[in-house]
Amino acid sequence: MTTDAVVTTRGLTKRFGRVTAVDDLDLEVRRGEIYAFLGRNGAGKTTTIRMILGLIRPLAGEVRVFGEPVRSGRPEWLRRVGCLVETATAYPNLTVRENLELHRRLTGAPARAVANVIEQLGLGDAAERRAGQLSLGNKQRLGLARALVHAPDLLVLDEPANGLDPAGIVEIRGLLRSLADDHGTTVFVSSHILVEVAHLADRIGIVHEGRLVEELDRAALVAAARAFSAAQLTEQQRADALLTLELERYFLARTDGSVR
Amino acid sequence: MFTAVLAGEVVKLRRTTAPWVTLGCLMAGPLFLALFMWIIRDPGRAAQFGLLGTKASLSGIEATWASYAAFLTLIVGMGGTLLLAFVAAYVFGREYSEGTAKVMLTLPVPRPEFVIAKLVVAALWWLAIVLVVFAEAVAVAVWLGLPGITTGAIASLLGNLLLVAGISYLLAPVIALVTVWTRGYLAPVGFALGMLLLGNVVGHTGWAPWFPWSIVPILVGSVSTPVDTLPVGSLVVVAATFVAGIAGTMWCLQATDNTQ
Ligand SMILES: Nc1ncnc2c1ncn2[C@@H]1O[C@H](COP(=O)(O)OP(=O)(O)O)[C@@H](O)[C@H]1O
Ligand SMILES: [Mg+2]
Repeated sequence: MTTDAVVTTRGLTKRFGRVTAVDDLDLEVRRGEIYAFLGRNGAGKTTTIRMILGLIRPLAGEVRVFGEPVRSGRPEWLRRVGCLVETATAYPNLTVRENLELHRRLTGAPARAVANVIEQLGLGDAAERRAGQLSLGNKQRLGLARALVHAPDLLVLDEPANGLDPAGIVEIRGLLRSLADDHGTTVFVSSHILVEVAHLADRIGIVHEGRLVEELDRAALVAAARAFSAAQLTEQQRADALLTLELERYFLARTDGSVR
Repeated sequence: MFTAVLAGEVVKLRRTTAPWVTLGCLMAGPLFLALFMWIIRDPGRAAQFGLLGTKASLSGIEATWASYAAFLTLIVGMGGTLLLAFVAAYVFGREYSEGTAKVMLTLPVPRPEFVIAKLVVAALWWLAIVLVVFAEAVAVAVWLGLPGITTGAIASLLGNLLLVAGISYLLAPVIALVTVWTRGYLAPVGFALGMLLLGNVVGHTGWAPWFPWSIVPILVGSVSTPVDTLPVGSLVVVAATFVAGIAGTMWCLQATDNTQ
């Protein structure tokens, strides 16, 4: 284990009945990097994240966060962790601001933190609305805002792009990048869509059937994708892919990147 | 920090209807009782109301304060126990039905603090209901002009209600345990209903003073004439149930998987 490891798992295993959700998983997420945990639905991403956060217990193996085994004694370490697990949830009877305020008080963050994250996630117009009445995208933004309120050193985000429109995805990507670059925040983010993380992550771990099948950095990923494209794709397929990208850019430009 | 946790649990009830619904349910008790008394007080009226009149006289209600107070204690003891179970199931179960358990359990707060805070909220909620219903009952009785109302009699009703409510409350942590164990409302409310019935059955046997859910029935007289003082053994049994319920709930929240 290198000294700058923020999250380490060793031989992490979890079974649900006969399903092995996570299978002998070794991970190392380093300080200040954005690590994308990429896998198809059912690959074991959420289960891994739940074990990292101490929500469920491993059958075997261990998780260390900031060098300490999770679930030991007082949960002080969670003060340094912000998370979003699977679907973003909130107390539906409380407003966006009240939900964030509740979280702020229990994490001991300064009073201005709530206004800051509301601004940061573009929730200004929704701040006084009840969480139960928010659009899917704004629910997700609230979940992300809560993860950020207490300025955590480690962000653990489970498919954070869920429910966000393309402009929102780009915006969140920029936010995560600036947190890592400007504040040294370590980000562990799961996704089932490669392009979503290809532009964001410093390293990508590919998980399949609970096992880590490959780990790549961004340069290696781009090189692999180029090689694949050159060898396996027809000219027509490449042209279609390019057109798709251009159409997306056109949509973003027409809507000023401000669609929520 | 515990005060912040407790304040948070109070905030979570903001704008919810459950406290008002439970209050309304128990407040119906004195009104129904008063209606019965109003009917049976006048033989002509009782005859006019037919079945209702017969039933009222059959169940041994007299239009006196003593009878009114005894039946009110019975209502709070039996109906209230169910309501209290709902209250306990609500404060714990809501975290699962709204999907916020994972939010709560990833806060830097020792989990036992949530258990205590929620039980305190349930206690305050229950106490408020009982006090309001007591005040309502006295007002209704005065308005009816029931014979036998004295300051001493009113004070004795308050004492009895608080005793019954308090003993009922000691059984609430077990409901919390069932809620956290099954992660929902249904099982704890079903469990409470089952125990209420079982308690009344066991209440007719020699085991009555030793079975936690028979102790309120023997106290309020739903299985025989009300007893004035409980055997010390019974108090030990309910106290032990209270402690075991709290310990079990804390253990369950700490040790079992929280998959949502
Ligand atoms: N609570 C659970 N009970 C039973 N099976 C589960 C549970 N949670 C996850 N699984 C199973 O474990 C596997 C991995 O699930 P998950 O970690 O949610 O995958 P992902 O987040 O990558 O989509 C899946 O086959 C899923 O059905
Ligand atoms: Mg998942």
